[in-house]
Amino acid sequence: MFSAPQAAIEIEDLRKTYQTMRGKPVPALQGVSLQVQRGSIYGLIGQNGAGKTSLVKILLGLSTPTGGEARLLGGLPGDPAAMRRIGYLPEQMRLPEYFKAKDFLCYMGRLNNVSSALLQNRIPRLLEKAGLAGVEKPVGSYSKGMQQRLGLAQALVNDPEVLFLDEPTDGLDPVGRKDVRDLLLSLRAAGKTIFLNSHLLSEIEMVCDQIVILNQGKVACMAAPAEFTRGTGEYRVRVAALSHAAQEVAEAVVGRASWEQDTLCCRPRDLAQLNFLIDRLRAVPVEIESIEPVKLTLEQFFLQVVSGKEQ
Amino acid sequence: MLATYLNSLREAFNRRVALVLIGIALLISVLLNSFVRIQSFPDGTDVVLMGSRSLGPAETAVPDIVEKASSLLGTLLPLLAIFAAAPMLASTLEKGWLELTFSKGTPRWKIFFGRFLGGATLYSCTFLLATFPLAYRLWWQTYVSTWQVIVALLLETLGFVALLAVAALATLPQKGVALPIMASVAIWFFSSPLAHRYTTYYQFLNSYTARWLVDWIYRIFPKCSELDSLSSSFIQHGHITSWWPIWSTGIFTVAVLGLALGMLDRKSF
Repeated sequence: MFSAPQAAIEIEDLRKTYQTMRGKPVPALQGVSLQVQRGSIYGLIGQNGAGKTSLVKILLGLSTPTGGEARLLGGLPGDPAAMRRIGYLPEQMRLPEYFKAKDFLCYMGRLNNVSSALLQNRIPRLLEKAGLAGVEKPVGSYSKGMQQRLGLAQALVNDPEVLFLDEPTDGLDPVGRKDVRDLLLSLRAAGKTIFLNSHLLSEIEMVCDQIVILNQGKVACMAAPAEFTRGTGEYRVRVAALSHAAQEVAEAVVGRASWEQDTLCCRPRDLAQLNFLIDRLRAVPVEIESIEPVKLTLEQFFLQVVSGKEQ
Repeated sequence: MLATYLNSLREAFNRRVALVLIGIALLISVLLNSFVRIQSFPDGTDVVLMGSRSLGPAETAVPDIVEKASSLLGTLLPLLAIFAAAPMLASTLEKGWLELTFSKGTPRWKIFFGRFLGGATLYSCTFLLATFPLAYRLWWQTYVSTWQVIVALLLETLGFVALLAVAALATLPQKGVALPIMASVAIWFFSSPLAHRYTTYYQFLNSYTARWLVDWIYRIFPKCSELDSLSSSFIQHGHITSWWPIWSTGIFTVAVLGLALGMLDRKSF
């Protein structure tokens, strides 16, 4: 039973099993449950074969689940009324070469029942936003980056409430990536829900409100990026000049400590012990240049999750 | 569906297949028109000439010529058009394109059906382009009515639509265009021997069961060659001699197309 009326996407115990040619079952999703709140950016990450594409395909009605239930904006996946309110950028797009950007967007819009009058008004603005204004050549001669920009524009042509983006920054240069990040943030500010699927963990970390890690068809972790990238309990204390006395003091206070040139890496029991260490070092005297907590990057955390070290 | 239909025609032109078909139609039309001449005599009679050979008075020769043109196209065009139209159906399911289009707010069957209609339109327009100028010119010069060519067009289109429905169904189980083309060409190829099964298969099939099976295959499958004969007969005599090929092919087309669209709507990609 679903309980959150304002959730854009609700998934309950979703299962998908494929069959090999010999009839051997291959589970892709093994009971995935999650809720995506409206007006937020959800990042979906996982290894190849973790079930990300299967999950997105089921939500878009392209694939049928073996078990469980999914709802998209209150409707069933594949329901035309619900689909008209979503936008999708697939990872692999095959754009017909003969289309020009404007005609392509017009066709995509018409498939979503957007009126011609509305499209005439909206398409120039979308092309401007995608950096394709004034480009008149056919899609076949576009670079990968331009195709990606056009793909993003088609996902927005029906002014969707929910956006599914599969590797949206693929093929884009750093400026293009920043443009996409800014676009995602502005869409979130406008109340859109974004379901982002990417291997670029730094991008995910920068824009997502919630991150879901899929591992072997199951939700291994779901939290805000800050929770993933929490402190490890380790600190790095950088001193102006390393001395033998400083090393002795550090060892006396925190026990096992390692030095990387003039930087002490240690794991104090608590903040009080860290402060005591600093006081003792200052008393040596040692000049402290910086103190910083060691945090996990999303990539480090992800690797720990998929290797089974993090529960 | 209208957007998909229009886009399928646009795609056919951009992939040059429509241009090739139209080119062939225009060539046939020009050749037919250049060979056929009308000679008027002082007593008011018109005689139709093909090259230097007289085909007789217009009253009998005009239907004869239009029927021959229609029959030629009814034999040649389905094969050419299926090579043009089947890829239009298969490309709907190409990876990277189906994700884009089937994730939109238009049901899959409408997208596919729009492209199916595009293929059928391509065929009927080509047929019309090849036959209509000659039929119109002959009527204009002799006042012998040639409107029957429109009914012939509808009958020939029904035969082609049945083949296209087979191609649509054959598109679903696998990727690529080979199976849809092979399936519809096979149906087209066997339609004539099946219609004349008493003089073809029954010559070497003595088993009652085998004959019973061939009979049922004939009854179920589209009757392209009979529709072609029917259209020739209609041009000559102005009435339908048998409704059986029409309604049985119609039922086959609706059933096969309905099955294909239903399967597509339920298909998991």
